Amino acid sequence: MAEKLIGADIAPPDLHAKITGRAKFAEDFRAPGMVFAKLLLSPMPHARVRSMDTSRALAMPGVIGILTADDVPAREGPREACLTNEPKYEGEPVLAVAAVDEETAAAAIEEIEIDFEPLPFVVDPLESLRPSGPNAYTEGNQFSGEDGWSQLKWTAADFALIDAGRMPNPTAPIEWTKGDPEAAFAESSLVLEEVIVHQSLTHHPMEPRSNMAYWENGRLFAFVSTQSTQQTKFALAGALDMDPEDITLVAEFCGGGFGSKISGSTVMQIPALFSRKIGRPVMLRITRYEENYVGRARPGFQSWLKMGFLPNGKCNAIDLILVEDGGPYGSGDNGTAGMTADLTYTPRNMRFRAASMYTNTPPKAAQRGPGGAQIIAMMEPILDKAARELGMDRLEIRRINAPGPDVTFGPRDTTLTSVHAREALDQGAQMFDWAGKQALSGQRNGSKVTGLGIGLSPYTAGSRGRDGLMLIRPDGRLYVHQGIGNLGTHSIADTARPAAELLGLDWDDVTIVWGDSSKGMPRSTVQAGSQTTHAHTRANHAAGMDALRKVRQIAAATLGGAASAYSVDGGRVRGPGGSMTFAQVAQRAIAMGGEYDGHVLPEDIHAQTVPAAQMLAGQGLMGVARDNYGGEGSIYSWVAGFAMIELDHDTGVVDIKEFVGVTDCGTVLHPRSLGAQVLGGCIQGIGMAMTQRWVFDPQWGVPFANRLYTARPPGFLDIPLNARWGAVGIADPTSPVGAKGIGEPPVGAGAAALACAVADAMGGVCLCRTPLTPDIILAELEGRVAAHGRLDQHVG
Amino acid sequence: MEFWRSVANPWDQNVLIGVSWDLMWAAVGGAVLFLVGHAIWIKTRPAEAPQAPVDRAAAAGIPERIQRHSLAARIFHWTMSATMLVLLVTAFVPVFGFQFAWVQVHWIAGVLLIASVLWHVVHAIGWQDFWSMFQLGIDEGMAHLKHVLSSKAPAPPKAGKYPFDHRMYHHVIVVVSLAAIITGVFMMVRIDTPFMARNPYLFGDSTWGVIYVLHGLSGVALIFLIAAHIYFAIRPEKRWITWSMIRGWVDREHYLAHHDPEKWVVAEKVAALQGGTGAVADATVSAPRGED
Amino acid sequence: MAKIRDMIPAFELLQPTTIEAAIDLLDEHRSGAWVLAGGLDSFDWFKDRIKRPSAVIDLGGIPELTGIRDAEGGLEIGAMTTLTSIVRHPRIRSEYSIVADAAEHVATPQIRNQGTMGGNLAQDTRCWYYRSGWPCYRAGGNTCYASAPQAMNREHCIMGRSRCVAVNPSDTAPALIAVDAKMIVENTSGPKVYDAEDFFIGPSIDITRMTVMKPRDLLTRVHIPAAWANAEFYYEKVRDRGSWDFQLVSIAAAFRMSGGTIEEARIAVNGVAPYPVRLDAVERLVAGTSGDEATANRAGDLAIAGARALRHNDYKIPMMRNLVRRAVGSVA
Repeated sequence: MAEKLIGADIAPPDLHAKITGRAKFAEDFRAPGMVFAKLLLSPMPHARVRSMDTSRALAMPGVIGILTADDVPAREGPREACLTNEPKYEGEPVLAVAAVDEETAAAAIEEIEIDFEPLPFVVDPLESLRPSGPNAYTEGNQFSGEDGWSQLKWTAADFALIDAGRMPNPTAPIEWTKGDPEAAFAESSLVLEEVIVHQSLTHHPMEPRSNMAYWENGRLFAFVSTQSTQQTKFALAGALDMDPEDITLVAEFCGGGFGSKISGSTVMQIPALFSRKIGRPVMLRITRYEENYVGRARPGFQSWLKMGFLPNGKCNAIDLILVEDGGPYGSGDNGTAGMTADLTYTPRNMRFRAASMYTNTPPKAAQRGPGGAQIIAMMEPILDKAARELGMDRLEIRRINAPGPDVTFGPRDTTLTSVHAREALDQGAQMFDWAGKQALSGQRNGSKVTGLGIGLSPYTAGSRGRDGLMLIRPDGRLYVHQGIGNLGTHSIADTARPAAELLGLDWDDVTIVWGDSSKGMPRSTVQAGSQTTHAHTRANHAAGMDALRKVRQIAAATLGGAASAYSVDGGRVRGPGGSMTFAQVAQRAIAMGGEYDGHVLPEDIHAQTVPAAQMLAGQGLMGVARDNYGGEGSIYSWVAGFAMIELDHDTGVVDIKEFVGVTDCGTVLHPRSLGAQVLGGCIQGIGMAMTQRWVFDPQWGVPFANRLYTARPPGFLDIPLNARWGAVGIADPTSPVGAKGIGEPPVGAGAAALACAVADAMGGVCLCRTPLTPDIILAELEGRVAAHGRLDQHVG
Repeated sequence: MEFWRSVANPWDQNVLIGVSWDLMWAAVGGAVLFLVGHAIWIKTRPAEAPQAPVDRAAAAGIPERIQRHSLAARIFHWTMSATMLVLLVTAFVPVFGFQFAWVQVHWIAGVLLIASVLWHVVHAIGWQDFWSMFQLGIDEGMAHLKHVLSSKAPAPPKAGKYPFDHRMYHHVIVVVSLAAIITGVFMMVRIDTPFMARNPYLFGDSTWGVIYVLHGLSGVALIFLIAAHIYFAIRPEKRWITWSMIRGWVDREHYLAHHDPEKWVVAEKVAALQGGTGAVADATVSAPRGED
Repeated sequence: MAKIRDMIPAFELLQPTTIEAAIDLLDEHRSGAWVLAGGLDSFDWFKDRIKRPSAVIDLGGIPELTGIRDAEGGLEIGAMTTLTSIVRHPRIRSEYSIVADAAEHVATPQIRNQGTMGGNLAQDTRCWYYRSGWPCYRAGGNTCYASAPQAMNREHCIMGRSRCVAVNPSDTAPALIAVDAKMIVENTSGPKVYDAEDFFIGPSIDITRMTVMKPRDLLTRVHIPAAWANAEFYYEKVRDRGSWDFQLVSIAAAFRMSGGTIEEARIAVNGVAPYPVRLDAVERLVAGTSGDEATANRAGDLAIAGARALRHNDYKIPMMRNLVRRAVGSVA
């Protein structure tokens, strides 16, 4: 049996519903008696509710009830409650009003008298580190579980250096060192010291995080916009402090999350709690404006980087300091950023220091390639600078520094399962004709100057030890139960392919069961960290093997002969004793019971899988297993991005002429989908580096880019028509399928390739900040004095 | 009628941003009522007891023309008048609905007003009898009040250089104009001028609210005050004073009829100048300082 | 009263079917009326509950307001003609390509399908302080937040400011100035014709309006005279991204050439002032030249004379200069 499914372009099962509009997203559900909730958002970046009078609102016809912070679980420390009386950012939900329709609910909110006491706030994380700078919380700017609140302030001496544009030498809550950076810098023939800023930016998925919920007989039915499904049920149960098995969670479709809806959202608690309070189903439709606030954002970095190079271009030392915008509820992108720097440039001598600072800005969360995408966008142009100084080819300096299979990185000397970064670079260089295009670099045509850039970006791409769960029912079809979410990446279907392939089934004989916890879901990953493809091809492979074993055993038991002599193909099992259809096998499995139909379950499966398997027991032949394939090392995928641009020196406008993205993500599972991920991710990175933005008024602490047109994610005309992708296609040896994830690595590659190309078109000048908008580029080209400081973020 | 205008600031806090333009209409209406009322009152008021005839003896030694306002003082007055009118027109005509580019004219007129006021203060302190304007007695006020209330009441005592109502008006206009000027200077930091960088955050919202309200109140008060001033300036019985602000001098008859030569002494100086060219007296000497 | 955004409240919708009826309704409702054309500006305001008119007068049902007609040798564009119709109109494309070009630079195809000529001209500024519902001068308050020392104002003006520093966002406005278009504004007293550049007013005149139109007025049509048909045109819009983005700076220029010499020019720039700026002095400078490099450079420098940056928009000065240079140089 040839591998006919893995590597084939097969349309996912949700495609038709999405294209025809029949797909039901969270906000499309209705329930009898359902009411609509609207939110009252904090008008201030940090405030305390002094008093409120809701009587006029409650007296309005059609108003059903009000949910306040007193009705929801409070959270201690810097943890987010779904409603609060002490909002930490402008736009934080304070209360919700339910009414028969949204118009009434909105009008009722306008009738609420609420008095806020403004509190000190901070928008710029660096300001919070200044000796007498403000803190985002009245209690301080650092929090630890053991010691509670404290204040982290850098010294005046540190800020004297910072203000002079130099690298400070501060204390940092996060610090690790490997090798001897000082000695290595002394040995370096080139040492670059840079100040680099990366903006924070909102996720803005197409679908806002709308939710609906109701209760029946103590059971919660929640209709949620989420990236994951099974793990979202547990997250919701945890937030509401209830038994997960008392929740039916429905999330069949998700209009994107980019990391902001990994296990649902904080606001998904509101309809559940509200519905419990008023006894009616509650729909909370989040608007685009609200999504800007509650929809999470990628944390920005303000950083100082020192990089040392040997004469051959090998990076031998890195000293990196990151100040991270932690938002009001914290974030930890810096950890991945430090690891990624070490992995991508393999310096062997590295010091990493980081401080994540609370700010009164909308909450931060993982955004596609968290930490990694930012640091690659920030550091790749510096690598280019080194190449220029050393007179090297920019492809070559990446090849020299890229890790090989023996790489160890990060503070704990992490290893990799496989790495083919160089192969990705080489394949990309060939597709792009890097060598042939060198002559174009810096070439001027009128006011337009050509720039070339490369971005090499790794990101985590897998995990191990999840469970697979599937049934061959008496209809002869394979039902693969997926606990992962349908984020739009196709992994919901594609990760089932190994099982179907093992069982010799046509794809038409496979049904994917997903999106509804009542249908039974195995222990799954959260749909994050680009794990899903890797983790669940393995888990479904394991469960498929389990099913195959059982099919053969049943055939042998029924038809005679050794189980090992039986093979499967086309929905039949054949062997020495003849053949059976899968339908017959399923009936036999039910008759035989025990492990065959799931009445006896493997002992090593996760406790979260057990209720689902028990629910499905007796309905057919059950394949259920934990991924015990094991393997050493972290799983990382890579993307090498190549960009050619034209920069108009009269206007600062960048026109992308050509883009190539080549990935090392192991075995290619679904080429068309992979291409969409590689180029889509690169485009998101291009947006991150070039067009998308966030802007705050420093006086009021209020963001402005809160609409799609002001936030400016890249549009159709911002992406290159000539965009191609490729894959190295070398299987990861530690997985039986060989596929690694791909969601996140492209972002850094797209961003860095553009940042490098822009610098190239400016004669090697690195602006060392994002976004690279025409104003900033033109000001530099024209030698104008920039009004913003080098470390200022969000200047528009 | 609304008295104030308030808005929700960016943090949704209610803040004062100025007076209601209803007050402007109130000031206009009040001014009209006052003027018409006053005109009717004058018309219908029973005739006063005829004034004692001018003491011819007292006229001895008093020149035909007595300087009441030096050229400098007159330049000040008319500069101030012009700037004040420009300020009022640029402030309120757009509110009436006639749109034009008023802001620059308004602040430039304001700067001229400030310059003229500063110059006036220096001049008044250094070259004029500063205190003559600041003499206010309760008795004098009561006498005037009684006379206004009843034409039968005895005529109030004659004033020195500045009649009682002028001094009263001056004080009111000083207070109101200074309020407008001081608040106006602060408000200039919110617009483009060559003097300073714009900064709406120089003060907090509530302080700005007070500043705007004071500016607005003084503005609408000035509508009333200036309307009244112009009205009296053109009234027949007061026109001799208006002429003095144009020509600089009053004639002997008016001097003797309306001023107390004891309090506004012009004779001695005239005597000193007698035999000269009959030049206009320098009338800056007023009542004896001993009374202070 | 707490605030809420992004939730459109119910409003009274009036749908006249003739211009006369619309004008009568405007006269009846005065400042309480809101003229609804394509709705792209209007619904933003309504959704955020910042503008709450007592009556919304929808022009969508007035056939006489839609369409492009030949008139007096030129063209007349009804105020409710969609931008897409303008982009696709054969005569506009051939004789007044700058107008089609400008219209095609508006936002996205969907927005151009919905957006109208009149709406594009009469739209309000996109200053985010103003559009966030802050009580700025333009909103009837007494503060310009955008010109505060630390304000975020990269998209604001470098000239023509007067308390307010917002810019006019229209893409078609400079093109219509370049072809010497006339705006026909009607009210119960009859029609009034404005030169395109006079249709827009700055905050020094009236800080709450972008155009001459007062509450009773209705822009019914735009007349493009024959005089500038088939001139040499140059249009360029610089924006942060390729679609659905307002201009940073845009330029529209028309040159009447004789041989290699510019006989007469009309040049307008938008995104630099609260109104589209016609560059009369530059027009005079380039007349009689060939648009050679030296002239183009002088034109660029002249165009930015007196320009003054706010904190974050200094780049607009060289951007405007370069665009003027390019426009003038385009005929050389």
